[in-house]
Amino acid sequence: MAEFAAEVYQNEFLSEGATDVHAIVTVTCTGAGSAGSAGGGAGGVAEIIMVDTSGSMSGRNIEAAKHAAQVAVDQILDGTWFAIVGGSHVANRAFPYPNARMAMVQMEPGARAEAKRAISMLTPGGGTAMSTWLRLADQLFATVPQATQRHAILLTDGKNESEPRANLSAAVRDVTGHFQCDARGVGSRWQVDELREISTALLGTVDLIADPAEIAADFEKLMRASMARGVASADLRVWAPQGAQVLFVRQVAPTVEDLTNRRAEVNPLTGAYPTGSWGDESRDYHVAVRVASKPVGAEQLAARVQLAVNGEVVSSGLVKAKWSDDESLTTRINPEVAHYTGQTELAAAIQEGLAAKAAGDEATATVKLGRAVQLAQQTGNDEATSRLRKVVDIDNEEQGTVRLKRNTSTLDEMALDTASTKTTRVRR
Amino acid sequence: MSDSSSTAPGETVAESSVLACPACGEPSHDGARFCEACGTPLAPLPPAGGDPAPTGDPTSTGDPKSTGDPATGDPASTGDPATDDDPATDDAAATQPATSDPAAPAARPCVRCGGTVAEDGYCTECGEPAASERDHWAERPAAWVAGVCDRGVRHSRNEDAMALAASPSADDERAFAALVVCDGVSSAPDSDVASLAAARAARDVLASGSQEGAAPVTGEPSARIGAWSALVGEASRAAQSAILATVGDMADRENPPSCTFATAVVDGPLVVAGWVGDSRAYWVPDEGEARQLSVDDSWAQEMIAQGVPRAMAETSPQAHAITRWLGPDAPDPVARTAATLPDRDGWVLVCSDGLWNYCSPAADLAGLVRATHERVGGEPQALAGALVDWANAQGGRDNITATLARFVRSAAPAPDGLDPDLETTIPTT
Repeated sequence: MAEFAAEVYQNEFLSEGATDVHAIVTVTCTGAGSAGSAGGGAGGVAEIIMVDTSGSMSGRNIEAAKHAAQVAVDQILDGTWFAIVGGSHVANRAFPYPNARMAMVQMEPGARAEAKRAISMLTPGGGTAMSTWLRLADQLFATVPQATQRHAILLTDGKNESEPRANLSAAVRDVTGHFQCDARGVGSRWQVDELREISTALLGTVDLIADPAEIAADFEKLMRASMARGVASADLRVWAPQGAQVLFVRQVAPTVEDLTNRRAEVNPLTGAYPTGSWGDESRDYHVAVRVASKPVGAEQLAARVQLAVNGEVVSSGLVKAKWSDDESLTTRINPEVAHYTGQTELAAAIQEGLAAKAAGDEATATVKLGRAVQLAQQTGNDEATSRLRKVVDIDNEEQGTVRLKRNTSTLDEMALDTASTKTTRVRR
Repeated sequence: MSDSSSTAPGETVAESSVLACPACGEPSHDGARFCEACGTPLAPLPPAGGDPAPTGDPTSTGDPKSTGDPATGDPASTGDPATDDDPATDDAAATQPATSDPAAPAARPCVRCGGTVAEDGYCTECGEPAASERDHWAERPAAWVAGVCDRGVRHSRNEDAMALAASPSADDERAFAALVVCDGVSSAPDSDVASLAAARAARDVLASGSQEGAAPVTGEPSARIGAWSALVGEASRAAQSAILATVGDMADRENPPSCTFATAVVDGPLVVAGWVGDSRAYWVPDEGEARQLSVDDSWAQEMIAQGVPRAMAETSPQAHAITRWLGPDAPDPVARTAATLPDRDGWVLVCSDGLWNYCSPAADLAGLVRATHERVGGEPQALAGALVDWANAQGGRDNITATLARFVRSAAPAPDGLDPDLETTIPTT
C-alpha cells in the first residue's frame, strides 16, 4: 500500500505588516507497488505508444523508432490494456490491427508478439498533424473506462506542419485530464514548444533524443517508470484560510511546472491540482499564500498542503505564519525556498534567452542567458551550467557576464531548452 | 472575551451578552453577525457546555502543541485548568470531562471565527490555532465570583494563573470568596507550572477557612481579621510549598520557576488581601474612592515610597523588578496582608500587572471597572473578560488575569466594634 509523507520547509516568521508566506513542501511516496496494484490489477492500466510515421522519419529514424516501440512493448505488464498508433497527418491504429473488433487489448504473450509484428510493418509517409494522434489516443482510451491509469508515449522527429498550431492546442486542451503523456523529439527538426505544451498539459515529461539509437533505451525507461506507478492518480490540495489568496502553486522538483491555473475547487477554501500517477518518488512543491497581516505575536495557519488519492487526503503538511518583531527570525531566508525560487527563475531565463536569440534580439538573449549562468551557479545546477556553456561563452560566472556563441548547434540549444525546467534538489 | 460563551451553562446572560470583535475589539451584541466597527464576521456563540471562554483577541491563543491541561502539560488534553476537584467550580470549562481521552480531543469551535478546529490543531476556516486551556480560561465558582486568565498578545505563553473559590450567594451573612492570582516570572522558564500550582494550593488553604471548609474561621468580624490574615499567610506558604513540590529539579536552575501571589478573601463584611510581589488587590466601590489594598513588593513601589512620582516610577525600565516572590529562591514567602470593611457595594478585584499596567492608579482602574460594568453588565465573568479584552486592546504586552467578587454591603450589617464608615485599610502585618 502506497504511503505518502509531506514535509514543509519554510520560515514561518513574518515581520510586522508582512503578508506573504512561502513554503516548499516535499511529498514523498513509498510502497507504490507496480501499476494497477492499488486496485483492479493491471486491467486498471492502459498504455498507448504513438510513433511518428511521417515521411521525414524515413531511414534510420523509423527503424530506430520501431525498435524502441518493440522494446517498450516488452516492458508493458501482462494484463495492461494497450495500443500502438502510427501518426502522420492522420493517425492510424497499428495495433490492434485496424480491422480488429477491440480498440485496445490486454497484454499477454501472444498479443505482445503480434504487436511487435505490427510495429515492424509501420512505413513512413505523409505529413505531421499531432492533434489527430492525440485525439485517436483519447478515443482508444475511452473504450477502456475500467482503466483509470492511462499513459502514453509520443515520439516525433518533426514540426507539426500539416495543421494550424491552434489545432494542436485545441486537441491538447480537449484531452487534458484524460491521460498522461511523455513526449520525445528525436533529432533537431522538431519544435520544443510544441512537445512541451503536450507534456506539460498531460502531466508528462519532454526530452530530446539526439541520436535515434538512444530511443530504445529511453522508451524502455519511460515504460518501466510508468509500470512502476502504483498510484493511478493523486491531487495536490492546497487549503488557504478565509480571505487569503493563493499566489501560486508550482511543482519545483524534479521539474518546474506551474500548477496555479489548474486549480479545481474542492470547496471554497481548498483547490485541487492534478499531479497524475505516482511511483516511489518525491516531488517538491512551492506554495505561496498571501494572508492578512496580524499583530506581532500572533500565529495562524497559512496553508494546508495535502496529497489526496481518490478524494481522500493521505498526507498533509502545515504552512504557518507567525508574526514577530525579532529580526533574527524574520529576516532568515529559508534555503529551500531560496533555492527553488532561483531554479524557477533559471528555467524562465533560459527559455526567454533562447526565444530572444531565435528572434534575433541578441541584447536580450545575452542578458537573460547571462542571468541563467549566474543562477545555475548560485543554485548549484551544474548540468544547466554545462548545457549553457554550449550556447554561450562565460566571462564571469558569478556576475553572469556572457557572450553568445556563434554557430552553435541547434541540438545544443534544444537540449538546453528541453532541460531548462529540470531542477536540482537542495543539498540538505 | 466577555462573550456569553464564557458563562456557565444554564446561566442566562443573553441580555448582557457581549461578543468582542476578534479584529478590533469592538463589543457587539449577541446575534450580531458582523462587527459594527470594522465589518469582521462574528462567530456564532459556541454551544453551551462547551469550551472555556474564547478570547476576543485572535492572537491570544497559543501554540497548540503547548495546549491542554496546564497542570499536566498534556498537549492534547481537554482537561481544563479550572476544574481541579472543586465541585463549586461551575464555570463553563468545568463541564469538560477531566478524564477525556487525550487522543480524541473534543471538537471545539475556533475561538476566532467559530469554525471547526481540525485534528491538526488549526481552524478549518480561518487557520487560527486551537485555543489552549492554559492560554485562556475562565473560572466562575459562583454567580458573584469569576475570573479570566489570558495569555495576552505579545507573550507566547500564559504564565499567569488563578484559582477561585466561593460560597453560592453574595447575599449570605457569611458570603465567602477567595480570589488568588499568581503571575509567573517570565524571565524564569516554566514559571507557568509554578504559578498554577501555587494558585491552586493557596486557594485550597483559603477555602478551608470558609463556613463549608475543614477549619472554618469563626468569631466576630473584628476577630476574624486576625484569623484570615494568618490564613492568608499560611496560603502563601502553601503556595510556596506547592511550587517546590512541582518544580522538582528545576529548583536547581539559576533562574528557577517563580511567581507572584495576590489574594483577596471576602468573608461577609470583611475583605482581607494578601500579596507577595506586584500582583494586586483593589477595592472598587460602585461610587466613591477606590483603593489598592495591596502594596507592591517592587522596585517601583520602593521608588514611590522614596518620593518618586508614581507615573515615573512605574514607567522606568526596572519598574517591574519585584523585590519579593514565591519560588525556590524566594527571600520570604509569607504574604503581607491588609483588611478592610467596605461600607457600600462594589467589586473586589485581584489582577496581574497585565491589567493594572494600563491603568495603575486605583481611580483609573475604578473608572475602567465602572465603565465596563455599565457596558457589559454586572455578571462577573463577562466583566472580567471585558477587562482582559480591554488590556489586550491596549497592546496585551503581558499575560492578563482579572478576578472579581461582587461585594454586597447590605448583606452584612455593620459589625460591632468597628467603625461602619471605615474607609481605610487596616494593615494587619
